[in-house]
Amino acid sequence: MSYHFAIVGTRDNPLFDLDFGTSKLGGDGLSHFKPEAAHMNQFILHASLDMVEEVQWANKDLYLKKIDSYQNNSIHCFLTATNVKFLLLMNPDPSATPYSQHTPGTTTSPPPRAAANAKHSATLLAANPSSPQTEEAVRVFMGEVYESYVKCTLNPFYRANQIITSPIFRSRVQAAAKKYL
Amino acid sequence: MPAATDDNTYGVQPPGLDFKDSNTIPLPPPKHFQPSLRYPSSRKTIYDRNLSRPSSTTSLASFAYIFNTIITYHHAKSGSVSEIETRLNRAGYPIGIKMLDLLLYRQSGKAVRPIRLLELLQFIHGALWRGLFGRAADALEQSTSKKNEYMIVDNEPVVNTYISIPREMSQLNCAAFVAGIIEGVCDAAAFGTEGVTAHWAEGDEMWPGKTIFLLKFQEKVIERDEAIKASVG
Amino acid sequence: MATATTSKASRMGEEIWKTRVDKISAEVLTLTYGTLVAQLCRDLTLPNTASQTDYLAVNAELDRMGYAIGLRLIEDFLAKSQNTGHCSNFREVAEVISKVGFKMFLNVVPEVRGWQGPPAGEEGAGGPVAFSLVLEENPLAEFVELPDDGRAQDELWYSNVLCGVLRGALEMVQMQVEARFTSDVLRGHESTEMRVTLVRYLQDELPADDD
Repeated sequence: MSYHFAIVGTRDNPLFDLDFGTSKLGGDGLSHFKPEAAHMNQFILHASLDMVEEVQWANKDLYLKKIDSYQNNSIHCFLTATNVKFLLLMNPDPSATPYSQHTPGTTTSPPPRAAANAKHSATLLAANPSSPQTEEAVRVFMGEVYESYVKCTLNPFYRANQIITSPIFRSRVQAAAKKYL
Repeated sequence: MPAATDDNTYGVQPPGLDFKDSNTIPLPPPKHFQPSLRYPSSRKTIYDRNLSRPSSTTSLASFAYIFNTIITYHHAKSGSVSEIETRLNRAGYPIGIKMLDLLLYRQSGKAVRPIRLLELLQFIHGALWRGLFGRAADALEQSTSKKNEYMIVDNEPVVNTYISIPREMSQLNCAAFVAGIIEGVCDAAAFGTEGVTAHWAEGDEMWPGKTIFLLKFQEKVIERDEAIKASVG
Repeated sequence: MATATTSKASRMGEEIWKTRVDKISAEVLTLTYGTLVAQLCRDLTLPNTASQTDYLAVNAELDRMGYAIGLRLIEDFLAKSQNTGHCSNFREVAEVISKVGFKMFLNVVPEVRGWQGPPAGEEGAGGPVAFSLVLEENPLAEFVELPDDGRAQDELWYSNVLCGVLRGALEMVQMQVEARFTSDVLRGHESTEMRVTLVRYLQDELPADDD
């Protein structure tokens, strides 16, 4: 199961992104996205920003839960007070995601793997993206990232919408991911 | 490092480069920013500090000295009163953005984003003022003549203590700095303003330093607020 | 060790802090100072560049601003701490600065260390007299991380205004000192430390203003 996490600024500009996988249930913590997922993930996340804008004026909470899905990816969003979006894309089985319709010659491999992993992945969070446990886990994860984010923005040298480059911030996000996802 | 040529003509190789597949010119790998800050090995970094610990206090005099320094600095660089006020406004702006996130983070489980204009105004009047100055602002009013103008009144702005304005600049109100903070908060919360300014409130004998902060919201913000009201109500 | 002076100074500092000082949230001070430094870093750039900060010029400007503050701050200090009396030697000066001065204005008490020079009571016996102030917590630099441009950490002393303040304040009480930072946690060092060196006592009444 793989995740792609991104922070998008107020002008829809990316400030931070991170790929990782689950460490639970024996996962290795690395993401297993297909190579084409690299740009597709960003595309999916940015497309979901429209959904964020629709939802944000009806919902007062900071955590907006699952706002969008694409094939078997689901996207959860956390909106900070200053309109900066934390977007988490989760995918229970990246190999089973047919991004484009013309998958060149590898159609035979996904089904057997999917069958073998079905029981395994059913217990993973991403298989039930709307379940309360999932939402709760993601919400707590987002809360920790928010804490690190606020600390980063309090720096007088950090200007709004600047890319976050601190390696400590990155390791904090990774640690939170390992703990909750 | 191979560079993508501007006229990306197929099959033409840039001189001096050797590709097996002449149809594609690979882009250079993105140069990732290499962070190079040193951190103390034993001391903690900013990410270890606790955001929610009870905020410590410091002396008002220290703030006044630093604020005075800022005013003097900007005064030396500009001429007119309105230019100084604009500079102070710009100086306070990023502080507003930081305060908004900090205050909402500190509300932790009960944090809600202001969605309606009134919620935002109450947030500024209450939470923001308390976070900055330890007390709520004194009044919140809506202009009777223009529906996109609101006023927040402070009888004795903390930032103006220890500041005496020379007579030739009597129009200058250094609370323009606080106006900048307010503007930062509004813009960051997606309630764009056309400007937030600080004015002396004339004629109040009990509070000679009374200041009115005038918030002018953009048309589209008012329209959006009306639309939400219509859809909910 | 001047323990009697130390505890008297500590008690005085605490008492003044509790009763005679108007207070404000420390975050406002941190954010305001941060704005000042960030503004200077934007305005003071290297010659012929528009975006590369001249950190050495920023240091100098912060020191100059601190000096102007110090000239006025000393009066405030003397007014509030009327019981101090005259400090008889430089050691007492150090104690009063750290336990009363810093406490009154920043609500922190730096540690006085690293004495160098003639022992107490023998002022003017030749050789520089100097001490270090070690700041365990620096309220001016909370949540600050220097810009990651390869130069800031080597060139900028973020809290340099404090050096200017000490220099200006002590000059008004007839002491010419040099104050400079020797280490800063923002630069990756283990502690934040300022070195204060007495250059000479000013015997003549020099005019106070510095323009």
